[in-house]
Amino acid sequence: MTKKSILAPLLPLFVLAALCPPTYAQDAQALVEGAVTYYRGKASMALVDMTIHRTHWERTLTIKGWTRGQKDSIFTIIAPPKDEGNGTLKRGRQMWIYNPKVNRIIKLPPSMMSQAWMGSDFSNNDLAKSDSIIKDYTHTITGTESDGGKKVYIVQSMPKPEAPVVWGMQRLKIRDDHILLREEYYDENFELVKAMSGEQIQMLGGKLFPKVWKMQKADVQDEYTLLDYKELTFEQDLPGRLFTLSALKNPGR
Amino acid sequence: MSVDVKMAWRNIWRNPRRSVLTILAIAFASTLLVFMLSWQFGSYDTMINASVKIHTGHLQIQAKGYMDKRSMRLVVDDPAAVGAVLNKIPGVAAYTFRAEAFSLVSSKERTYGVVVIGIDPLREAGVSTLKKLIRRGSYLTATDSNQALVGNLLAKNLQVNLGDELVVLGQGRDGSIAATVVKVKGIFRSGQDEFDRGAVHIPLEDFQDVYSMRGAVHEVVAAAGSLGQVPEIRRAAAAGIARLDEEDHLVVLDWMGLMPGLIEAIKMDLVSGFIFYIILIIVVAFSILNTFLMVIFERTREFGMLMAMGTSPGRLTKLLLIESASMTFVGILVGIVAGVLTTWYFQVHGIVIPGATEIMRQYGLPERMYPQLSLLSVSIGPCVVLLITLLTALYPALRVRRLRPVEAMAAA
Repeated sequence: MTKKSILAPLLPLFVLAALCPPTYAQDAQALVEGAVTYYRGKASMALVDMTIHRTHWERTLTIKGWTRGQKDSIFTIIAPPKDEGNGTLKRGRQMWIYNPKVNRIIKLPPSMMSQAWMGSDFSNNDLAKSDSIIKDYTHTITGTESDGGKKVYIVQSMPKPEAPVVWGMQRLKIRDDHILLREEYYDENFELVKAMSGEQIQMLGGKLFPKVWKMQKADVQDEYTLLDYKELTFEQDLPGRLFTLSALKNPGR
Repeated sequence: MSVDVKMAWRNIWRNPRRSVLTILAIAFASTLLVFMLSWQFGSYDTMINASVKIHTGHLQIQAKGYMDKRSMRLVVDDPAAVGAVLNKIPGVAAYTFRAEAFSLVSSKERTYGVVVIGIDPLREAGVSTLKKLIRRGSYLTATDSNQALVGNLLAKNLQVNLGDELVVLGQGRDGSIAATVVKVKGIFRSGQDEFDRGAVHIPLEDFQDVYSMRGAVHEVVAAAGSLGQVPEIRRAAAAGIARLDEEDHLVVLDWMGLMPGLIEAIKMDLVSGFIFYIILIIVVAFSILNTFLMVIFERTREFGMLMAMGTSPGRLTKLLLIESASMTFVGILVGIVAGVLTTWYFQVHGIVIPGATEIMRQYGLPERMYPQLSLLSVSIGPCVVLLITLLTALYPALRVRRLRPVEAMAAA
């Protein structure tokens, strides 16, 4: 008997091992899903101050928003008065915007999805694809660090081959209590484009939540967009009529 | 006149037909080069003028950084003051003000992201060809409000026609949301797809109102009387603006800075032109080499005789070089004169490219193209021909030295 034949009975085991995805990948997927589910909840209502900061200029908008599940959201501006009533509705990958002055609803074409939303550092894509991180990426945990006694996982997310995404890679920092601390966006050359980080973790809507989110482009120091949660409540569900085109004209009804 | 020169001159005219043909070959090459180069330079002037007149203008005054960033907040605060500076510069033919914003433009059917441009209808007509480019409907008047001019490709994409409504949605100078509804008044076509697909013009006053511009504009666009005046105007404008603009945040850009692609295209065209000229010169060089070699074969006996009589090989070489040099000089002189005369005729009368008139007019190009004589266009070609011909003539002239008198005289 040769050596080969001794190993032969073991071969199916190797094949089996190769076919099964490594368990840590599943962990990473579960970790990311957990984080998204945690910050979106089943449904939520929020009042947010969005501050767009530029070198010689700053502007704050107050936005009221509703989200349901991982796909539907609707935002409307309630201050300053000049922009009051401007709204954005997002269902799945589709987005509509409404302007009260001309009383029209415009559906955003795909070519506009990478443009800035309301002049901020958030793109329309950032809003429309909030569940894209779950569906379109493969996740691996590349390391851990500790933050105030809590374990923080560093997740590297590579887009799936056919996924309709603009990023070449994302990196997430997720605390072991599901709180997303940081999301980094990389281009195809794996250069950092922009990053969003959560700060001031405190009790909001009945759970620990970063009160302030900061989105900043990688190549500028003095320009960023802050989202400051003034109010946040999580609901079991919200009625579907809140996320319709007619609701966009009369939000919250 | 030394004996050598006299001998060379007589030798040339001993076989007039051959010499005249050689001279004509050189003359023809020189004429062609003078004309082609002048034509090429002239067509660049026409091209540049035509391209800048579609939209860009010869010069623009903008806030520093606006060219690259296109940020709404980088504005010319006091356009009237800049206008006053331009009024005092003699070479400025006309100027206008524009404001631009990237916005969403939406018809009933579709939405596209385009540049919305606020224009002053009266001044704009003096600077750009926009008014002449209107294919359907009509141009804006000074009193129009909530009307728009749309590129033909954009109109097709949006599926709109004259009188249809467009919703414009963008962001104002103060960051607020800018929105308005305009009616399509005219549809233009420039032939530059990017422009025809991506631009909507509305009256400047509407623009300033909708986009909260507070009287500011993004560009002051100037047209020069001629392309040659641009550098001078640029200097004068920069000096005038420097006095005006204490914070030093404005900048004067000329068409080369505004349309870097145009200069690139011209460079490409020059290179391909030069390849053609080099081929032409090589052909001429071979024909000259051929003639000079023939001379030696035909006159082998004669050279043998001269050598037998005590002429040194060096003197023979000299003799042959004088012959070829005189023919070259005569040829080039004739060529330059003929070239300048032909070019000058067309420079005055222009050249109509048959069949292209309609297309040229459609795109705002003049139907006649004019070559442009200059010291450069007249001298480059003939100089290269001179150099190549003289180098070519060296070979046969040196070959003579290898002749042995007795064998040479025995040759047929």
